[in-house]
Amino acid sequence: MSVAVAVAVLVAGGVYLVLQLGLVRVAFGFVLLGHAANLVLLASGGVGRRTAPLVGGATDEEIATTADPLPQAFALTAIVITFGITVYLLALVAAGADDDPSAEKSPAGEPDPARSEASAADETEGPS
Amino acid sequence: MILVWALATMVVAAGLAPFLAARLGRATGYPLAAVFVAVLAMVMSQYREVVVDHETIEYVRPWIPVLRASFALRLDGLSLLFSIVVLGVGALIMLYCPRYLSAGSGHGRLFGILTFFAAAMLTLVLADDVVLLFVGWELTTLCSFLLVGGRGLAGAKPATRAFVITAGGGLALLAAVIMLSVVAGTTRLSEILQQTDVIAESPLYPWIGALTVVAALSKSAQLPLHFWLPDAMVAITPVSAYLHAATLVKGGVYVLLRFSPLYADRPLWHLVLMAVGLVTAVVGALFAMQQHDLKSILAYSTVSQLGWIIALVGVGTTAALAAAALHTFAHALFKATLFMLVGIIDREAGSRDIRELEGLWRVMPITATLTAFAALSMAGIPPFVGFVSKEEAYYAFLSTSDADWTPLGADWTGGLSAGIAVLAASLTFAYGFRILHGAFGGRIAQRGLYEPSAAFWLPAAVPAVAGLVLGLYPQVLNPLVTRTVVDTAFQVSEADLALWHGFTVALALSVLTIVIGGALFVRREQVEDLVLRVRLPFTGAQVFDRVYEGAIRFGADVGRPARSGATGAQLAWPLGALVLLAGVGLLWLRDPPPAPLPTTEAGDWALVALLAVAVAALAGVGNRLAALGLLGVVGLVVASVFLSLGAPDLALTQVLVEILTVVVAVLVLRRLPLRFRRVARPQQSAAAVLAVASGLTVGTATYLLTGRRERSEIADYLLVEAEEATGGTNVVNTVLVDFRGLDTLGEVAVLAVAGLGLLVLLAAPRERDPAPAGPIDTLADGAGVVFRIAGRVLGPVVVLLSVWLLLRGHDEPGGGFIAALVAGAGVAIMQLPRGPDAGPRLPARPLIAAGLGLAAVTGALGFLDGSYLRPLTGELPVLGLKLTSSLVFDVGVFLVVVGLVVAALDRLASGQVPVAAGDGDRR
Amino acid sequence: MNALLPLVVAGPLLSAMVALTAGSPRLRRALGLVVPAAVLVAAVALVTATSDGDVLVAQVAGWPAGVSISFAADLLGALMLALTSLLVLVCMAYAAISGDDRDPYYVPLALVLSAGTFGAFLTADLFNLFVLIEIALIPSYVLMTRTGSREELGAGRIYLTVNLTASTVFLFGVGLLYGTAGTVNLGQLVGAGAESGGVALATGVLLVALAIKAALVPVHGWLPRSYPYPSPVVTALFSGLLTKIGVYAIFRVYTVIFSGESRWDVVVVVVTIASMVVGVLGALGETTVRAVLAFHMVSQVGYIVLGVGIGGVVGLSAGIFYLLHHTVVKTSLFLSAGVVERVEGTGRIDRLGGLARRQPLLGVAFMGAALSLVGIPPFSGFVAKYVLIRAGVVDGQHVAAAVALVVSLFTLLSMLKVWNGVFWGGEPTRDDRLAPLIPPRGMVVPGLVLAALSLLVGVSPEWLLWLSDRAAAGLADPSTYATAVAG
Repeated sequence: MSVAVAVAVLVAGGVYLVLQLGLVRVAFGFVLLGHAANLVLLASGGVGRRTAPLVGGATDEEIATTADPLPQAFALTAIVITFGITVYLLALVAAGADDDPSAEKSPAGEPDPARSEASAADETEGPS
Repeated sequence: MILVWALATMVVAAGLAPFLAARLGRATGYPLAAVFVAVLAMVMSQYREVVVDHETIEYVRPWIPVLRASFALRLDGLSLLFSIVVLGVGALIMLYCPRYLSAGSGHGRLFGILTFFAAAMLTLVLADDVVLLFVGWELTTLCSFLLVGGRGLAGAKPATRAFVITAGGGLALLAAVIMLSVVAGTTRLSEILQQTDVIAESPLYPWIGALTVVAALSKSAQLPLHFWLPDAMVAITPVSAYLHAATLVKGGVYVLLRFSPLYADRPLWHLVLMAVGLVTAVVGALFAMQQHDLKSILAYSTVSQLGWIIALVGVGTTAALAAAALHTFAHALFKATLFMLVGIIDREAGSRDIRELEGLWRVMPITATLTAFAALSMAGIPPFVGFVSKEEAYYAFLSTSDADWTPLGADWTGGLSAGIAVLAASLTFAYGFRILHGAFGGRIAQRGLYEPSAAFWLPAAVPAVAGLVLGLYPQVLNPLVTRTVVDTAFQVSEADLALWHGFTVALALSVLTIVIGGALFVRREQVEDLVLRVRLPFTGAQVFDRVYEGAIRFGADVGRPARSGATGAQLAWPLGALVLLAGVGLLWLRDPPPAPLPTTEAGDWALVALLAVAVAALAGVGNRLAALGLLGVVGLVVASVFLSLGAPDLALTQVLVEILTVVVAVLVLRRLPLRFRRVARPQQSAAAVLAVASGLTVGTATYLLTGRRERSEIADYLLVEAEEATGGTNVVNTVLVDFRGLDTLGEVAVLAVAGLGLLVLLAAPRERDPAPAGPIDTLADGAGVVFRIAGRVLGPVVVLLSVWLLLRGHDEPGGGFIAALVAGAGVAIMQLPRGPDAGPRLPARPLIAAGLGLAAVTGALGFLDGSYLRPLTGELPVLGLKLTSSLVFDVGVFLVVVGLVVAALDRLASGQVPVAAGDGDRR
Repeated sequence: MNALLPLVVAGPLLSAMVALTAGSPRLRRALGLVVPAAVLVAAVALVTATSDGDVLVAQVAGWPAGVSISFAADLLGALMLALTSLLVLVCMAYAAISGDDRDPYYVPLALVLSAGTFGAFLTADLFNLFVLIEIALIPSYVLMTRTGSREELGAGRIYLTVNLTASTVFLFGVGLLYGTAGTVNLGQLVGAGAESGGVALATGVLLVALAIKAALVPVHGWLPRSYPYPSPVVTALFSGLLTKIGVYAIFRVYTVIFSGESRWDVVVVVVTIASMVVGVLGALGETTVRAVLAFHMVSQVGYIVLGVGIGGVVGLSAGIFYLLHHTVVKTSLFLSAGVVERVEGTGRIDRLGGLARRQPLLGVAFMGAALSLVGIPPFSGFVAKYVLIRAGVVDGQHVAAAVALVVSLFTLLSMLKVWNGVFWGGEPTRDDRLAPLIPPRGMVVPGLVLAALSLLVGVSPEWLLWLSDRAAAGLADPSTYATAVAG
């Protein structure tokens, strides 16, 4: 239950942030969504059993109450991957990809009225 | 077999034509004409069997067994009739081309496509497989497009219209073909036609019929789809004469004749065809009266004549089918002639407008005579074949009353249709004479015009004279027509074509026609004024273009949301979709999920509350650095949640990732304004709504779908077997490196590429310009002393710590990734004091390459024990350290992560702000 | 042989790192050509080995099924592997001719991209699928924003964020699936969606993520917004590989987990109908060659996935054939579009014209591929359209069949828009035309080769149809797959 609530909180916050202008906040939003995903993974193993899966000389009782290690491994991998992508996303910000539709251009370089006009509209419309 | 040879010859000829043309130029027409004649001879060699002995020449070999489609050809009377037209007229056109075309080369494309068209047309009329038939049908459409559109600016639009209309019809035919093959369980045309009763029971039966009719009407330019044909006249004369008068447009007629047995007893089929046909015959003729360009007159005349033929197909009696077959033949003869002659006039007199042309008969008597032959044939004057076919047609229309499908007591139908037919024929008579008078009548206006050389008019003379001969001796066509009726009506009725049938009703109608037509011609001024007044407010072409542009504009609107460059506008869609699906899914959840096992502990709620506060604050705050701090807080709370759930590795990783994320973010943020940009209110509330909705759905899903089952077998296996199997006691780590090493390899690859991405995206600064003021610079001078010492002392310690973590990872929390993050932190600490623009100690690229390479290679060692990434264990002599391949693997991980960190620090810490960014971000 | 399956991932990864450290461009180029060629050879061997319904399985790291990550090559996987490796090869050749591979990072990144793609077609483990998709995606992020130009960054921003969203959703799905089913191994999940509503819902979440990656309506926007912007060869590479992962995964996940469950088919049909329509209209409204082609992919993906909605061997077979055909043709078109931009310096339709006269061979290549896309015989597109619509009629999906039919007419319109604007019509007036550049010789060839391949398949489609049928049979009845994977 508590994990589900935590997930709900993180997802809500994350979604709110990714819908904002400014790629930095979008990136932050994805970090939150990543947290949520990892919590879902952990929850999927069943968080009733909470002994850390360090089985060095563990007794059967301990084993019985030990957490499911597989989703932990999943989450670990996921954290790392999300980290890698987040870093690149931030690098995009550094390179100047901050959310800025009004400066859009059509491929091959020439300004395209329809496009810029459309994207200008989005600046105010936002998510729809 | 002969049929395959015929087809193959045409295709080969089409392939060679361009090369011939490169050598012979326009003279290529002569050898090609020879080919056409040869192929015609091949087909005619079967005349005896087909027409006299009523045999059927077949050739079948499997083509696409999976679809039961076969490469089946079949030569019966109907096919023979059309083949003769296709090849005969084709040969004449090829003879005509050399003198018509300009000298010089560059005609390869034309000759190639023309010949290929003939091959396609031949496929269409010979195919005994509906799929093959459709292929032929589409190829003719395509050739027409290429031939009309190849004419630079003028051609493109008309070609497009013609292509789209006829291709649309093609789609209708495709649908019909597919339904037929599905219903009948075969694609063999002859077999399908044998199963009328089976097909008639299918619910698709009416659809098949409707779609076939649509297809045929579009191809044969019937109202209201007729407009593409006059448009297509921008093509050069040989193309117009061959495709758009004699052959291609007859494709629709052919298909209708072919399929008519299926609908023989369906009144609707007959009524629709008769209605459309007769209306088109009359209206087309009226349009022809409106034109002054000879070619346009002929184009609309073709529309009208095709209507005439289709109406006959509609009548459907044996007499009518015979008349349709005959008229198809007759029309090919006189219309091809007329087009070729108009081409001659155009070339010689430099105009096709009957208002400019005057008295050409004085200077071009032969051309004039030939034109007269053809025009009279068209007008239905004895003794030309056109007269015979018109007589037959009148007789056929009158026979409507006693057709099997006609309801009893509907005797007026015959009279009515015959009456309309007379009207159409009279108009035809009128514009036939209008052509003659317009071009040749009166006194000569232009000087210096001469009869063209025989080579030019001879190709036209052949069909013109043939029209006369066949008019005098129509009997020779009896066997062929008879056989055609057998193939289309499935019953034998001997055709009895003759110039003189005695005093019959048909003859009376012919006389009437000539009288009315004559009157119309004599009073042509008044008639012209009259018809010019009934012009429609818009043309089909205009409507088409209107629709086309409308579609494009509509498309632009449909695509607008996708064109948005705002991340929010783009992300709303997937998120919305997720909420929608998950929401609906949760409501529909069939079986109530099993009761939840006890999962929550008292302490959890405190963490959740803390989390909620931090997230809320993060969502609200407008200051970038504050937001960054809060992000770190959230990360740490999540880490402690992990810890509370028994995932120390996870918690440790989370903390380290958080630290590195913050470091990177700081380096990035110093390039940006301190505060986030404001966003419009509506957008804010929309975002909030979507956010809450997503939170609820995902949270509910998590609650309902997790924590309700016992531990999975895989988990039990891992907990019990891991130590035994891998020698590691930290099960999570063993999963990462021993059990699911491939995931880890992938994760390493992702990090490696992320590192490379930094190197690519933030290319190393060329000239180092002083970095804008940022936290790091202030550290570099002044307070930096502390860090300088820290860097010297702490750095190495941290690195050692990381090595220790790396080694113990297999048994205790740690491992390559965690160790590397620690090392990365160490590198960071060492980097900080040296200021942003000091180059890195370690080169990122080799680290990354070596790390990923090492990991991948270590995996290959596993093959020694049978599988990739299979962990190996071995004692290492030095200090008895147990060495596992997993450890080496972990070293690879370690190197990559360090490489990534170095890359990040190197590229982001440097003061270089890419030019692209320049102003963009400081607004 | 089976044990070597994971090498389709490890091999390209390793070569990528070698290429990365390689000093000489020649070595890089060689690696870029040799690796996909080798995979192609292996894939063809796999196709022959699996064509009789066998499934080759490798339990990576040699643990019991479910514990190990299972790699399984069935006919569908083998076909996809062959197809994509061929396209990688062609794109590498194109890059070698056009000079795109002078960028020292191009070949390594493309190799990593293909490593992930190849793996995605073989893995039978959903979490591993997530990882492999990420391996394919992250290089694509870099390739998308390689030059750091405004257009690329703008496109890359959308491309990255939307795909990151999809990946997150995918993780949610994996989590919920493990939470309900207790495994992420496809071999153990056969029919699970039919038995438990929870699993069905979790799978639904997975499918949303995959739909985003496949660019189905309404989650298609990112594709037309990003694909037209990077260098053409990159677009071609993406269109050939990335969206196809999503499409393939939809085929696999849906048929395995919903085996014996047909009540969701209607959802698929509705979505694909929407994709067919919206995609083609959007394409009609675009203003540059590549933008038209990119938006049109949405429509074509609709056709492909409709095969799943129709279901059964007939539907799936049609979908698979369409998938194979479309991937080849669309890549060919993008490569030709690349040549156009190289020759004329722009891809804007209203600034081009009369190219057919100056570049006849290019005209042939484009026309051929475009006709195939429209479904005009004798190209592969006709057979694809025929079998798909036939499947619709057989299955009684008349509405979908009708839509597919009508949409193909609009496809014709969109292709004619490009053809008339770029290859026919008048020369662009001097002043608004950038100086025409001379394309490297042979730059037309890759596109031409693929168009020719489409023609070949169109004239004698039997062999490929047969393979599609067999592959479809393997999907329609996943029991062999399951037993092979899960033991």
